[in-house]
Amino acid sequence: MSDVLAQVVTLLVLLLQVAVMVALAPVVAGVTRQVRARVEGRAGAGVLQPWRDLRKLLAKRPVHATGTSWVTRAAPLLLVCSSLLVAALVPLVAADPLSLVPDDLFVVISVLLLGTVALALLGLDAGSAFGGMGSSRHMMISALVEPTVLMAVYALSIPVGSSTLSLIVTDRRDDPASIASPAGVLAVVALVVVVLAETGRLPVDNPATHLELTMVHEAMVLETSARDLAWVELGSWLRLTVLLGLVGNLVVPWGIATEPTLASVPLGVLAVVAKITVLAAVLGVAEVAMAKLRLFRVPELLAGSFLLAFLAVTASYLVA
Amino acid sequence: MTGLLVVPLAAALILGVAAVLPTSAGVVRWSGVAASAIVLACGVGLLGSAVPGGEVPDLGDGLLRADALSAFMLAMIGAVGVTATWGGLAPAGDPAVAPTNAERRYAALVCVFLGAMSLAVLTDNLGVLWVAVEATTIATAFLVGHHGTRRSIEAAWKYVVLGSVGVAIALLGVVLLYAAGRSAGEATLSWAVLSSGELPLDPGLVRVAVGLAVLGFATKAGLAPMHSWLPDAHSQAPAPVSGLMSGVLLAVAFYAILRVQVIADVVLGPGLVRGMLLVGGLGSLAVAAALVLRQRDYKRMLAYSSIEHMGLLAIGAAVGGPVALAAVLLHVLGHGLAKASLFVVAGRILAAQGSTRVADVRGLLARRPDLAIPYLAGMAALLGFPPFALFFSEVAIVVAGWQAGLGWAMGLALGLLLVLFAGLARATAAMLLGAPAADTAAADGEPAHAAADHPVDLAASRGPGVPIVLALAVTAVAGLLAVPIGTVLVRAAAAVGA
Amino acid sequence: MTLLQSAATQLLALSTGTLLVTAVLLVWRRSLGAAWRLLAVQGVALAALVLAIAVAEEDVELLGVAAIILVLKGVVLPLVLARGIAGTGVAREDAPLLNPTAGLVTVAGLTTVAYLVSRPITEGVGGAGGGQAGPAALSVPVGISMVLIGFLLLVTRRRALSQVVGFLVLDNGIATVGFLTAAGVPFVVELGVSFDVLLIALILAMLSGRMHAAVGATSVDEMTELRD
Repeated sequence: MSDVLAQVVTLLVLLLQVAVMVALAPVVAGVTRQVRARVEGRAGAGVLQPWRDLRKLLAKRPVHATGTSWVTRAAPLLLVCSSLLVAALVPLVAADPLSLVPDDLFVVISVLLLGTVALALLGLDAGSAFGGMGSSRHMMISALVEPTVLMAVYALSIPVGSSTLSLIVTDRRDDPASIASPAGVLAVVALVVVVLAETGRLPVDNPATHLELTMVHEAMVLETSARDLAWVELGSWLRLTVLLGLVGNLVVPWGIATEPTLASVPLGVLAVVAKITVLAAVLGVAEVAMAKLRLFRVPELLAGSFLLAFLAVTASYLVA
Repeated sequence: MTGLLVVPLAAALILGVAAVLPTSAGVVRWSGVAASAIVLACGVGLLGSAVPGGEVPDLGDGLLRADALSAFMLAMIGAVGVTATWGGLAPAGDPAVAPTNAERRYAALVCVFLGAMSLAVLTDNLGVLWVAVEATTIATAFLVGHHGTRRSIEAAWKYVVLGSVGVAIALLGVVLLYAAGRSAGEATLSWAVLSSGELPLDPGLVRVAVGLAVLGFATKAGLAPMHSWLPDAHSQAPAPVSGLMSGVLLAVAFYAILRVQVIADVVLGPGLVRGMLLVGGLGSLAVAAALVLRQRDYKRMLAYSSIEHMGLLAIGAAVGGPVALAAVLLHVLGHGLAKASLFVVAGRILAAQGSTRVADVRGLLARRPDLAIPYLAGMAALLGFPPFALFFSEVAIVVAGWQAGLGWAMGLALGLLLVLFAGLARATAAMLLGAPAADTAAADGEPAHAAADHPVDLAASRGPGVPIVLALAVTAVAGLLAVPIGTVLVRAAAAVGA
Repeated sequence: MTLLQSAATQLLALSTGTLLVTAVLLVWRRSLGAAWRLLAVQGVALAALVLAIAVAEEDVELLGVAAIILVLKGVVLPLVLARGIAGTGVAREDAPLLNPTAGLVTVAGLTTVAYLVSRPITEGVGGAGGGQAGPAALSVPVGISMVLIGFLLLVTRRRALSQVVGFLVLDNGIATVGFLTAAGVPFVVELGVSFDVLLIALILAMLSGRMHAAVGATSVDEMTELRD
């Protein structure tokens, strides 16, 4: 009986986690834009502007281009669902997985890939030149990122002996030396490059541009409007938020809740919100300092991150 | 006797400093010769104590130590040094004119070079040996680029980069040997301790270490396939420097290989280093044979001959055993003296003709017999004609190799030596005989640029004849004297465990 | 293990990681200005490594060696290189034989080779004591990787000064292996080695300056007059 109760409590904590992430996602986008604006000397639109945009978009009726199919209606929803699922799987507030839901890092990556493919199909469906171009660039980047992700995951799982995310995070919390070990540092650096590539941030893609030669993500969502656009934006921001949360919990694992008690859960929520906000601000500052890479140089960057992940794997065999 | 360990180093240092300070032109001019003479005297003195009594003077707890092999090498350095520096003396200028900065630097660098070479053979510490060998690269870097032309800068660049990289590999080997000693209980770089066989050195680690050390020092000795810097560096340097480098520097790098070989033989058995040296030696002979026939530049041809003789030395060391090693040491002496004399005479020919191309030098025997006859004698010594020492050493190495079961290698070596003989003889004949240059059409074009590089300086083409005669006479006689040369060689070879 | 010892082990791990990452970045980046700054960072990391070993072995002499390395490899050698770069006016390695992506993949291959090659070394240094090799001996592959990366730079770069960078990386790698396997070489030898490396770097920088003046470019490929 208490076993079922424990499972229900865990489920509640997970739902809380997802809710917090959904609430936080537009704020993260807002924080990044606001920090960037301030550093560039502008006033900025305010941290809550993305929420206002979402509210505006959700109230409108979408317009679909002629020749589009059910994919245009389904893809934004698929993207949001995959992002929500990732928010449930990654240990953000609590590192206490449901026994039925696999919390493996490989599962997380596969779900993320689902969202990626949905977005790419969305770009292709309207049949426009920009959409196709964006989708092809997006898939190229994803394809190049996959080996790095797998290597980084492998490197992180070697000291623990398992690729279950919650185990990895709690292990790093219990043994701080592994955070500063060369394998740990290299794997996290490779993961950061992966996050930047997957979520379409500088230096891989500029989220604020609409120039034909430089768009990747924006090109895919050009034909989307109103509610569909709201889902797509929310889905993308949620991905960024969750991945930032993952990186934050890997680098600074303290604060995460291991049992769903009344004291540890609010602490977990506060901790993860703080980490994500800080990382979002850092991202904003870093984006001001970086220039976007030319597209043919993106493979260089991804090869470099692959090498770092590879070195992380070999370095972790040193300790083992 | 321990004083004799310090004297060559101190003398080289003092004379080098004196050349740089505002001293008279005479000091600058004779500093190199004086330093070489002191080194020779100390070498002979040490031999006098090491050979009969077996006494090994030791200073600074192994920092300086002279067994019979070190004493022999020191004497060889001195002898070749005297030949090269004395024979390479430019005609005495006006004593009232102060020497230029370039001349001072040249003299100082030659003294530093001699000092570093002496330190390399007199030390027991492998680390200090490494430092001294690297110091010679530093000293000769500027000597190679002394002319300042495009070609000499190119040669100096290749020399420094390849030499330093090779020596860096040797450093890795030395460091790993130190680590092996340390994990076996005694952290030491002393060759005497490491080769005594008392330390339980780990064979796997020693294998890697020795492989790297031999590879590195072989680069410095010009063994194939790490020889590509040698023809450029030795052909672009001024003639006395080429003589010193070919005669002394290569031999000292080879000496380092011999020392490392002893450690390897004690810990691992003779297989590893023997294999490496055979490959390097036969490869060097093949490379030299292949390229010497095409040579149009006589200084470059002499450099390839150096590669050939280093290959022979490597083969001799690979064979091992008392006969082969004694022959190797005799060969070191004979080659050093002959090559130094040849380079000195080649320098004078260059000053007389203004060109290093074989095609531009014709009928030397008729026009300048004072240059042609020493050149002919030196070349005869180099090619291994009896009674010169090189004949005896080559025969001994081949016979010892045959008896050690390496007959196939000896046959191959003999074939390649024949090709080299033909190439060198043909070029020499072309230079000494034939119609004077005015009649021959320049068959290969580009006559003007060679003359631009080297102005004709007839005064510089006349130099002291005594050192050349002495050097060739010693080479002629050395192979025939069983006592004292024979006993010296046997005792020196015994120092490396033969 | 005392607190100081565990801190030393952490510093060892951190510095070997930094050494490897800087070597990788040197293959990645083509700018010569970035190159000398990365070499400075590498020198500082090497000094930190020596410091960590000095603390772990409780050897005071090594502290002096760490100071020498900090000054020499962290400050003096990069400055010599920077002066050389300023003298020739070349800012980038514009046509390397290996593009960055291929270079990075090659580095991955070289790291694997380094691990294979270091096995006898690690066993020889650690196994003789009868127990597990210590953390220092286990990091020997990092040093060997640096040596191989130095070779890669020497072979695939065309600019004279880039080759000097490769040589300095090679030398740093050898020093790393030396400190990790044997806690350095005797002090006298260490002084001699450092002095020699400094002089070689000075000579190479000066030669490249002369090359620039005489030949008009510092691309080693253009020096082809001496050949058979």
